[in-house]
Amino acid sequence: MKFDVVVIGGGWAGRTVADRLAGAGLRVCVVSEGLSLAAVHDESPYSCLAGLQKKGVTVLRGDRALQGRADADKVTGLVTRNLGPDTMLEAGAFVLATGKFFSRGLLSDMNHIWEPVFGADVAYDADRTKWADPEFSSHQPFMDFGVRTDEAGHVLVSGRPVMNLYAAGEILAAGSKEFDTDSFIEEYEHRIG
Amino acid sequence: MSIGSVNLEQCLKCNLCTLVCPMMEVNPDYPGPKKAGPDGERYRLKDPAFFDYALKYCLNCKRCEVACPSDVHIGDMIQSARIKYGSQAKKKGLRSLRDWTLASTDLVGSISSPVAPIVNGVLALRPVKAVMDGVLAVDRHRTFPKYSRQKFVSWFRRQDQSAFDRFVTYFHGCYVNYNYPDLGKDFVRLMNAAGYGVHLLEKEKCCGVALMSNGFADKARRQGAVNLASMRKAVSAGEQVLTTSSTCTFTMRDEYPDVLGLDNSAVRDSLMLATKWLYTKLSSGEIHLKFRKDFRMKVAYHTACHMQKMGWQIYSIALLQMIPGLELTVLDQNCCGIAGTFGFKKENYGYSQAIGAKLFADVEASGADVVATDCETCKWQIEMSTGKTVLNPVEILAEAVEF
Repeated sequence: MKFDVVVIGGGWAGRTVADRLAGAGLRVCVVSEGLSLAAVHDESPYSCLAGLQKKGVTVLRGDRALQGRADADKVTGLVTRNLGPDTMLEAGAFVLATGKFFSRGLLSDMNHIWEPVFGADVAYDADRTKWADPEFSSHQPFMDFGVRTDEAGHVLVSGRPVMNLYAAGEILAAGSKEFDTDSFIEEYEHRIG
Repeated sequence: MSIGSVNLEQCLKCNLCTLVCPMMEVNPDYPGPKKAGPDGERYRLKDPAFFDYALKYCLNCKRCEVACPSDVHIGDMIQSARIKYGSQAKKKGLRSLRDWTLASTDLVGSISSPVAPIVNGVLALRPVKAVMDGVLAVDRHRTFPKYSRQKFVSWFRRQDQSAFDRFVTYFHGCYVNYNYPDLGKDFVRLMNAAGYGVHLLEKEKCCGVALMSNGFADKARRQGAVNLASMRKAVSAGEQVLTTSSTCTFTMRDEYPDVLGLDNSAVRDSLMLATKWLYTKLSSGEIHLKFRKDFRMKVAYHTACHMQKMGWQIYSIALLQMIPGLELTVLDQNCCGIAGTFGFKKENYGYSQAIGAKLFADVEASGADVVATDCETCKWQIEMSTGKTVLNPVEILAEAVEF
């Protein structure tokens, strides 16, 4: 299945990005594993993504992004749990909006933190004793951990920017650059004339 | 830590499942997916006496699982608890006979088919409906699906498929075999037009979904084992097993391993709805279909709950969108309320119709001539409750293709 943009995550960040891209006429797919807590603010929780659907967004509810496929510096496809490898999602660009630890956008064990779908570089302290501040109410270092990008917002994998992979919302490390929806749309409109 | 396959400890008590449960909205006696699932399981593990008989209200629609951000198998937990603890509940005489009759789709179909005109006529009579309502507690408002005089398999045996060199295997299911062979015939015509011959499984039994929900899990497990043995043969011969019913497919792919404990790993990836297969082959250019130029139809697509759980509605929708002259509205995903045999029971009829009300209103508002859905029980429910014709996407495709 081919789209202009595949957004991974249907929470606040993913929905906002998808809504604006679809509003500009792009063909968008959102992969949303479960409902986000954002849903409780909607009139009808289960159809919280139905508004996007009405704008022509393909919403894969209850599906999980399993693995990104990439060649040299570009993501070529995304395998999901429900669709399987036969019908990989293909797109011009991919936006990671899977959140941090609670929504499992980032996974961790005792000493490592990683991003499971693309294996993106995650900024975190190698010394795990510095992850949390015992003073509960103080600024917690682990909240700054997240996916690294270059200055143009391309997500880094093994230190190199992936030219069509971006990130939005909570999953970003402090100091990384958020997906710039406006300039992406501008560039898209320029390209299609 | 995980307690076996039960991942109740993943539940964060966020209650999103409670918000999307169609039964919660209409029935205050149902504790809801969180309480019936992970919360209740915690107690049931301590003492089976904590089993709550209100779990019978669960439709097994799996909307809770689709909504769960933590991937808790809420519906599986409820189904498994009903099987493990609920079957000891002694149902009273005639209700247990009713449940057995509703669940035995294979047997009742085999008996009814040869005398189909009589059965269909009798089941439609008002006095008969009144007696069934009063004695068997099958609600009088229900229209029974008609039995077909000729079974699908009898028709199929006379079809020559020897001219093909590539084959798919078809799991037709009870509904196609006993009630609605036309869908199976359309499937065969489409496959043949795509250049594929059709085989049937060596042995096919009912997938068992109605048995499981009516407390006959052991029988469902035995039938599942027969189906899987035949499927393994088909798959090892290099054939994919295709279906035209979303619920049979879901049951055999997911409920077999998760609820019945049957190992389907050798066939699971090869078992799929015909619409997924057709979409994949058409979009890769491996097969071609020629569409009629004069085809016109205004269609509203209803995503059945089990279809939503599999996430495969996008294939049916994409196929319908490929048809020139077809105008498509995709309805919001709402449960139709029938949940297989659930809605046929007198005590459930009110809940069933109350749950479906939103969908029925959407169908009416869509202005469509025809509703498309991949589930046969949704078809009965929507046809009865809205008066619209409901077709499987495979039937619509067969009508739009030039043979």
